Amino acid sequence: MGFKEKVVPTIRISDSLLVPIQIDLDDKTVEQLQAQLLAEIQEHRVRAVILDVRMVEVIDSYISYTLTETAAMAHLMGCRTVICGIQPPVALTLAQMGIELQGFLVARDLEHAIGMVYSP
Amino acid sequence: MDGKLRELLDISENDFDVVVRISREEDIAIARQMAKQLAQELGFSLADVTKVATAVSELARNIYRYAKPGKIMIRKRPEESGGPAIQVVAADRGPGIESVDRVLTKGYTTHERSLGIGLSGIRRLMDFCEIASEVGTGTAVVVEKRRRKF
Amino acid sequence: MDNNLVEMLVEELEAGSKQEEKLWRNLLPGVVSGATGNNLREAIREPLFGLLQELGETALGAKLKLVIERTPTIPAAELLSLILELCGELRHDSEQAVRELERMLSELATPIIRIWREILLVPLIGGLDSDRAQGMAERLLDRVSATRAKVVVVDVTGVPTIDTAAGGFLIETFSAVKLLGTEVILTGLKPEIAHTLVKLGVDFRMVAIARDLEDALRQAIAMIEEDRSRQRKIVWARGSNFPDEAEGGEHNGI
Repeated sequence: MGFKEKVVPTIRISDSLLVPIQIDLDDKTVEQLQAQLLAEIQEHRVRAVILDVRMVEVIDSYISYTLTETAAMAHLMGCRTVICGIQPPVALTLAQMGIELQGFLVARDLEHAIGMVYSP
Repeated sequence: MDGKLRELLDISENDFDVVVRISREEDIAIARQMAKQLAQELGFSLADVTKVATAVSELARNIYRYAKPGKIMIRKRPEESGGPAIQVVAADRGPGIESVDRVLTKGYTTHERSLGIGLSGIRRLMDFCEIASEVGTGTAVVVEKRRRKF
Repeated sequence: MDNNLVEMLVEELEAGSKQEEKLWRNLLPGVVSGATGNNLREAIREPLFGLLQELGETALGAKLKLVIERTPTIPAAELLSLILELCGELRHDSEQAVRELERMLSELATPIIRIWREILLVPLIGGLDSDRAQGMAERLLDRVSATRAKVVVVDVTGVPTIDTAAGGFLIETFSAVKLLGTEVILTGLKPEIAHTLVKLGVDFRMVAIARDLEDALRQAIAMIEEDRSRQRKIVWARGSNFPDEAEGGEHNGI
């Protein structure tokens, strides 16, 4: 996948894909992110995707829908997805709207996330 | 015709601090950003700023998806009796909603890429939510959130 | 002549204390001087404020009536608006104080205590309304995030009743904590609360439940131990057999 098509630069560590999202997500970028991640999972035989959303200030119903959809698709490709770094205001908003991030393992931070990925 | 809806569709833009027209996808992010800024100016907690921004994001997306063009109007109401509040009016002259009760049910959606959480989620996030709609005329949603005492 | 009038009035007002008498002496010269506008305001603002606090609205009103009757030249209209303004300020101040107290009470009623490394305890006391619940949730999430706590123990022994709304607030708070990647253990549910919760259909299946605080702490420590041993295993596994070269097997759980 060419550099130009990537909305989020990713880092590959052994067979995991680390995705630090440093931009505020909107409808278009989250859709592009989905396409990008699926392509990378396929191309590099990734076993786990770790989304780090520390910098994301708003996750609304569409963004969370697209993210859970991505997790479900990744699952079908034999890949587990971990989300980490959800900020307290975002967590409170999601909880109040009654949104669950289905299909995601939820981690406190990167260290915790890596622990989940490699847990036997 | 619904008087409340007519009144909201004709409401003067001059009475608002911010008016964002919603016709392109990027406008959703702009509306969200403006809402965030006004809530911050009113001294809302960070969590409540995020809740207001998220609710506006949902409102703007509903317009973009089902009824563009429309507009999001936001005003600060520092002197409300229950404490300073922010009010958002989302208005469009789109197709209108057939059953308002049904769209407020969590999980109901006509869109294939949606959780059906939009309006019910907005209602949970805000302190006040009113919907006026008529098929063929348009839809107006008024939501408010006041600054919490603690 | 003004002085005589002032003395006469002070005499007649029968001040109940030295402090009150002093305030009248400060106030009256301004009132009878014939000054108007801002001069008058500046002159009488402070003593009037003092008297309002000293005597309260009713007693001050009665005494001012007397003053006005004795002094025909008094600018009654201006005095009235100034007094209303001061009353407004006083009310505003006391409202501010009440708000501050409410906030303090809400914080005092929900302390967040670090009882163990990476374990926070939240003993909830009193009823849960929307504002209080949201304030509590915000403070808790900030603490969890700042301390990187792995487990939060919520003890509801001090909560008299939990209705649907309060149950909903708790569930929202627990979901939010879990979105930070932190576990929640709920304890202190009295039989009658458990009864109502089930009847109301409030579903706490998403959190671990403990019999009492001791049990909660034991469970929490077990969770932390498990987490640590998992981390150790990874370090060990990576040291001996870097997963890049390792084939398959160990990552089969999805």
